[in-house]
Amino acid sequence: MYSILNSQLFGTIPKRPMVITAFFLLCLLTQNLPAFAQETERDNNSQNIFATLGASTIANNIRENLRIQGFAGQSFIATSNNDVFGNTDEGGSFGFTEIGLNAIYRPLPKLQLSGQMLSRRAGEGNSGIPRLDFAFLDYRLYSQETNQFGIRFGRLKNPWGFYNDTRDVPFTRPSILLPQSIYFDRTRNVGLSSDSVQFYGETSHATWGDFSFQFGIARPIVDDRDTEVSLIPRAQGNLSPDVTILGRGLYESPNKRFRFAVSGIWFNADYKPGTADTLGPGAIQFSPIYVSAQYNTERWSLTSEYAIRKFRYKNFGDQMFDSQDFYGESFYFQGEYRFSHKWEALMRYDVLFTNRNDRDGSKYAALTGLPAYTRFAKDLTLGLRWNINTQIMARFEYHRINGTGWLSPLDNPNPFNLSKNWDLFAVQLSFRF
Amino acid sequence: MFIFNKSNICVLLISSFLVITDVMANDHYQIVSHPNVIETDITRNYLRAIFSMRLRTWQNGTSIRVFVLPDDHKLHAVFSKEKLNLFPYQLRQSWDRLVFSGTGQAPTTVSSSEEMLDRIMNTPGSIGYLETTYVNDNIHVLHIK
Repeated sequence: MYSILNSQLFGTIPKRPMVITAFFLLCLLTQNLPAFAQETERDNNSQNIFATLGASTIANNIRENLRIQGFAGQSFIATSNNDVFGNTDEGGSFGFTEIGLNAIYRPLPKLQLSGQMLSRRAGEGNSGIPRLDFAFLDYRLYSQETNQFGIRFGRLKNPWGFYNDTRDVPFTRPSILLPQSIYFDRTRNVGLSSDSVQFYGETSHATWGDFSFQFGIARPIVDDRDTEVSLIPRAQGNLSPDVTILGRGLYESPNKRFRFAVSGIWFNADYKPGTADTLGPGAIQFSPIYVSAQYNTERWSLTSEYAIRKFRYKNFGDQMFDSQDFYGESFYFQGEYRFSHKWEALMRYDVLFTNRNDRDGSKYAALTGLPAYTRFAKDLTLGLRWNINTQIMARFEYHRINGTGWLSPLDNPNPFNLSKNWDLFAVQLSFRF
Repeated sequence: MFIFNKSNICVLLISSFLVITDVMANDHYQIVSHPNVIETDITRNYLRAIFSMRLRTWQNGTSIRVFVLPDDHKLHAVFSKEKLNLFPYQLRQSWDRLVFSGTGQAPTTVSSSEEMLDRIMNTPGSIGYLETTYVNDNIHVLHIK
């Protein structure tokens, strides 16, 4: 079975992330061998499953408790104007590729080790170089009936909104591009995952439903160019992470008809100026709050999320920067309709205001001379999903967009070359195993 | 008043049909486990926590191993709706969220009832569901309280 898995892995994934993942798993394994030998011994005594100790029990434990999964998605994107993930406005581009490999191992019933490598090729911001998306240890401290409490330690996905935790897996998204007003792709690494300690808990009641929470202290990942340029347009220096706090509470009715979540981040980063920098050693504070709601029936899923995002820049020694203390606002409404197991349709209206006190960008334009339409975006999306089988999925999607608020400045360096009203068409083919 | 009564009787009749079909539906398959699982009667809430993959161990500390039929299998859909009060797509979405955020594992999908029986018999701590005709003395049947 594993030889088949391996040949599949080597067939679809470049060798380097595979080697890194294997090495990572090996490290995790060797570190936890004594504990899990003890456990298998206990299993032997109580259940008499394993006839022998030693290598074969370890092999058995791995066979029964290790799961490997992967996914790959290739998209074609064409735009009428403006660039999204490559040069898309001159006939389109195959510039958006996502590949992931994931391993989850549970050597003891209470201990779980998880890791995921991710390669993402998307415009100037993401070259496709594989990176460690998450790698952490999860220990369940308390488990009684349907009440759980535990701790997670390592590089973890940041828990916010309905989709952030699995945003790079095409099968878990409602569309090829997530609603950009909330799930920005240009500053994605800030929100994506972070090196953190998280506590989690859940409790379940037969008539009231399930309540769960995640709460963590983290060091965000801010050292990529797309994030730096998006947060500080003329950055010559670098951002470095500071202590960040984040958490999410989720309620689900017993049949998951209603899902309701509130999440928040208190993000901090420091700016280290470059050699001939006009900016001083400033700090950025970013504290968004997200409210998410969903209603599910057999055929319909209606989803809406709202975010209010507070930005504060200080100590940059530049009036333009230090005066920046504003709230951004985003929301979307989304309907998904399932015709059958095979076909689903999507309709969404997604709105972003970079500054809620300057929704049309006119004050910004007056102050900076830059186009007002770079400060908002209103996106109407229509989509179709075709589940060819349980492993292969195709998607088609059309966006009509007014404003360029969420476009990446790395892909679109000159704001005066942008078009205010534009169209985006995308097709995606995804595979999972 | 008479009309009110008549409509009441109609409601009663319709609900009795519902009850009868429910009993028939419940008869043709069972929730089954490996004989080493000590639980015999479990609550619906507990069952839902197991199949949502939020619970990792039985009360005695042994690992829970969940087996399901494919998402588009008829028995999987019937079991999900009747016993868990969830649609198959909701289960798949919550399993995907666990797996791809690294916070949990998905159940093992088997391709047929024959394979389900084989895996339940030979996997300590296992739980799944089977048409009643497949149930034999080598596996346990779990009842909902």
